[in-house]
Amino acid sequence: MTKSRIRRALRLVAAPAIVALVIAFYFRVVSVNNTTVALTLLLVIFVISAVWGLLEATIASLAAVLGFNYYFIPPVGTFEVQDPQNWVALTAFLVTSVMASQLSARAKRRTQEAVERRREVEGLYALSQSLLLSGSARTASQDLVSRVVKILGVTTAAFHAKSAHETFRWGPDDPLISDEQLQADRDEALIDRDRGLAIVPVRLGGQALGNLGLTGHLPSEAVLKSVAYLVAIGIERARALEEASRAEAERQSEVLKSALLDALAHDFKTPLTSIKAAVTSLLGQPRPDAERELMTIIDEEADRLNRLVAEVLEMVRIEAGKLHLEKRPQDISEIIGSTLAELKPVLHDRPVEVRLQDALPAADADFDFLLQVLKQLLDNALKYSPPGSPLTISARAGEGRIVVSVADRGSGIDEQEQLRIFDKFFRAREHRFRVPGTGMGLAIAKGIVEAHGGKIWVTSEPGQGSVFSFSLPVYRGEMVS
Amino acid sequence: MVDDDPQIRRVMRATLVGHKYEVIEARNGEDALTRISAEMPDLVLLDMNMPGMGGLETCQHLRSGSDVPVIILSVRNSEKDKVAALDAGADDYITKPFGMEELLARIRAALRRSPTSPEGGPRSMATSDLEIDFDTRRIRVKGKETRLTPKEFDLLRYLVSQAGKPVPHRELLQAVWGPDYGDEPEYLRVFVNQLRKKIEPNPAKPKYILTEPWVGYRFAVPGDTGERQKK
Repeated sequence: MTKSRIRRALRLVAAPAIVALVIAFYFRVVSVNNTTVALTLLLVIFVISAVWGLLEATIASLAAVLGFNYYFIPPVGTFEVQDPQNWVALTAFLVTSVMASQLSARAKRRTQEAVERRREVEGLYALSQSLLLSGSARTASQDLVSRVVKILGVTTAAFHAKSAHETFRWGPDDPLISDEQLQADRDEALIDRDRGLAIVPVRLGGQALGNLGLTGHLPSEAVLKSVAYLVAIGIERARALEEASRAEAERQSEVLKSALLDALAHDFKTPLTSIKAAVTSLLGQPRPDAERELMTIIDEEADRLNRLVAEVLEMVRIEAGKLHLEKRPQDISEIIGSTLAELKPVLHDRPVEVRLQDALPAADADFDFLLQVLKQLLDNALKYSPPGSPLTISARAGEGRIVVSVADRGSGIDEQEQLRIFDKFFRAREHRFRVPGTGMGLAIAKGIVEAHGGKIWVTSEPGQGSVFSFSLPVYRGEMVS
Repeated sequence: MVDDDPQIRRVMRATLVGHKYEVIEARNGEDALTRISAEMPDLVLLDMNMPGMGGLETCQHLRSGSDVPVIILSVRNSEKDKVAALDAGADDYITKPFGMEELLARIRAALRRSPTSPEGGPRSMATSDLEIDFDTRRIRVKGKETRLTPKEFDLLRYLVSQAGKPVPHRELLQAVWGPDYGDEPEYLRVFVNQLRKKIEPNPAKPKYILTEPWVGYRFAVPGDTGERQKK
């Protein structure tokens, strides 16, 4: 500060001194006419005003007027002016020199302003460049605040992120920026140049992201707004990036889950394949009855283990939301027909009545999974009702759904157990040790039906029998053959 | 016998040798391709899930230079997986674990070529852009020799022998794959698609192998195709 003041004082002395030198040179050394002296002085004042500024030039022109009057305008040696024409010349000289110095000073000021604008634009550019390097939204906020301080040359910067309720600061603690000011909802920027404080709302597309507070030497309002906008873009960009990488991580974990399930299926089924292949190979040759009986047991148990593994894996798939449905329009009567055909060996001579509503619409379902659900319900009905008692399968449509029911004349299920019958591993108390099963069949059926967007339920009256029903959405697309 | 699991290879070798087959083993797809081209087996049993080159890829590679019958073995049971295997050029698909009797039946079916000239069927057929010689099992499309897998060829021959008549799915499956088949309509979908790609000038609008909705397929006799194709 003091250095530039001394320099300024020196210039104020030097300006008239230069004028004095020119006058002395023409007065003492070279004799020329008054016009030449006046033009030379004018030139000197121009140079002074262009290089040093208005004040120096004004002092110089006053000195020039006085000196020119005293030494060159007759009567020489006095400040008097004899010829009125000389007054005109003198006035013109003074006005011209002052105006010239003012013009050049203005040009100088413009240049200086342009340099400042350029610096600001460079700062904004640097800030926008640095936005591309930010990482997560949190680190990006911290990063942005520090970059704003460095690039704009302010003393401190603080950003309050509205969604995260977090404030990021950079620079020495400044009590000027209070938490209340930062956290307040504001539509307009608060700019207090006297105190060197600005609080600018940071918003993007009408959505408020928070407020940016700055103290110190503030840039122009336009720059402040641009900075706020850049900060908004930077934070939004970081947030979008974060979201994208989270989505990618989720997708990868889904892929991993699927791969794990496949590997599990493979690892369980491979030894079963060897066992099954070996024992069926042996069974394919003539054998004594006792050996055949033992091998048949191995074969049947391998099958049971295989079913169990399949059920467990299916349950895991359902719970992981990994059931792959191939939904197509399905004719319910065709599915009932296929189910009955597949269950023929276990149905024996059970009377099965099929009641279908006329003109039943197609269901939107996966054939294989639907078959599995129906098989499970029929299998259940067979297991839990007396041999020879009739079963009824019915299907009706209404309210955009198709409801399929399987009714038996078994002992029924009490209310307590009805609530839990679709739970995994649940076995009815009475049958727990009498009827074989894993307790997963109905849970899987439930999972499959729900994956189709349907519901499964049971109504039962102890002593009268049970009705298991499930609903499926009606196929709404165009029918294709 | 291509499988990465040594126990499965052991069981298969023991059983197949017991049934008088000669068995060559491979542990993975790359290994299989070398051994198959060196030893020219009559049939390939190919596991789907192997480290490195898997069953599907191996099958595709194999098909580029060979029409050896291929049966895919897989723990997966979905229609999508079966169709993918058949699309890759396999002739049949069996789900692990399987009973050995079933596998042996499928091996016999895959090895069985229907006799070179079935009774009543033509010995050869020719149209402007398709020539089939049933005795030599050769086929030329627009004058260019085209390779069909044995099952594709048998399927085409059966359809031609019944030319003009709709052949139901079940009948076609049993005629080409054997009496144990009949519930694999997806096999027909895949093989008919492949045949169409190979012999039809425009597979999207077939003029030889026509779909009979809900029934089966029909080979359109050259000459009277125009009338029946119009809808």
